[in-house]
Amino acid sequence: MLGDSRKAQEVFHATLREAAMRAARGELPEEPFWLFRDARWRCLEATKSDLQPESVDLEERDVASEAESQIQRLDPMQLAIWISAAPDPQRSALALFYLDEFDYREILDIAELKLSELSRFLAKGRRQLQAWLNSKFPQQSKL
Amino acid sequence: MNPLSSMRRQRSLLECAPISARQTADRSMRAALSRADGSAEFADQQNFDRAVARLVRLIAIPAESAEWFSEKDLVPVAKRTWKSTLRNPAVLAISIAVAVIAGVFVFNFVSHLNDFPGSATARKLLGIAASTRPVMLDPVSAEAGTLSDLFFMKHGLEHYDVPAEFADFATIGCRVFEDDESRRIAQIWVSEKRMQFFLFPAERDSKTGAVQRFPGWRYVHQEGWTGAITEHSGVCFMAALRGGDKDLAPYLSQPKE
Repeated sequence: MLGDSRKAQEVFHATLREAAMRAARGELPEEPFWLFRDARWRCLEATKSDLQPESVDLEERDVASEAESQIQRLDPMQLAIWISAAPDPQRSALALFYLDEFDYREILDIAELKLSELSRFLAKGRRQLQAWLNSKFPQQSKL
Repeated sequence: MNPLSSMRRQRSLLECAPISARQTADRSMRAALSRADGSAEFADQQNFDRAVARLVRLIAIPAESAEWFSEKDLVPVAKRTWKSTLRNPAVLAISIAVAVIAGVFVFNFVSHLNDFPGSATARKLLGIAASTRPVMLDPVSAEAGTLSDLFFMKHGLEHYDVPAEFADFATIGCRVFEDDESRRIAQIWVSEKRMQFFLFPAERDSKTGAVQRFPGWRYVHQEGWTGAITEHSGVCFMAALRGGDKDLAPYLSQPKE
């Protein structure tokens, strides 16, 4: 989500420190996702001073049946940077969804989104990623 | 929800469809997935998502942070305590229902523990004793033991004899009536403690017709009334009064069974 492992580590440790202090005071919230919501806000805080993604209309393409092979050719860090470059809350939606640890209701809870918003961000993200993949790994036209 | 917004919601749900093939607990998501099953567009989306998720898992996590997750669940499962389990409305409702059923079962078991042939009839007659008024009986001034002849001569009731323990009591009135099973019942009211006597046919075996005998005196209780019953020659005798066993016990020659 940050595209920077040093910052990610700082956020991670700050979140754990906060959780430990709350636990020591006996003030841990009952609901299970507060830690993730807290971590997300820390990530957003941490990137506030960074260069912000420009609000530009990226090219979009329909998800292709060959996308799987295109994604396999991608370096994991390239994908991490691509996701972290997305404007929030689309970035949070993509990061939480592709982490594949939460169902959609949990993502709505953590990212404080509505279903229609999450759905729009994911659909847009797929189409933009497909366009990027097409530009990076052009498909050979079928004979 | 109108059909258009329902379709829009289903489309939204499909965009958020789970990547792994894990069972989803959300009913609306399951419905949306089953409708989209077989669609080429949705299959492409799922393949796309799975490929991205696989790649995301390969993104390097700093070693210092990674060790925190090595053996820990990302979302800790709240451990249920006994208290929280007991406070669960479903568990509470089931516990109450089981307790009530058990209570009824125990009550029935205990109340039938002292049952004997004719106890059901005796309980009904205690109900009649509670509602009987002196004017309902034919006035008779005699000793209770002498009424056997009256029952035989006037009503043809054989062996409707008052036991020796109660034979000397002075009567106020008596009557013969039929109960709801057309059995002929003799009822005697005596002055002693406003006691009432009942004589009625003993229970018989439904197959053989043989009298179901029981030895000595037995007690039944109903609505604050107590009856002491004994059987002799196929006829049951019950002495009934308002009170408890201890009020009747002094009159009985044999110990209570």
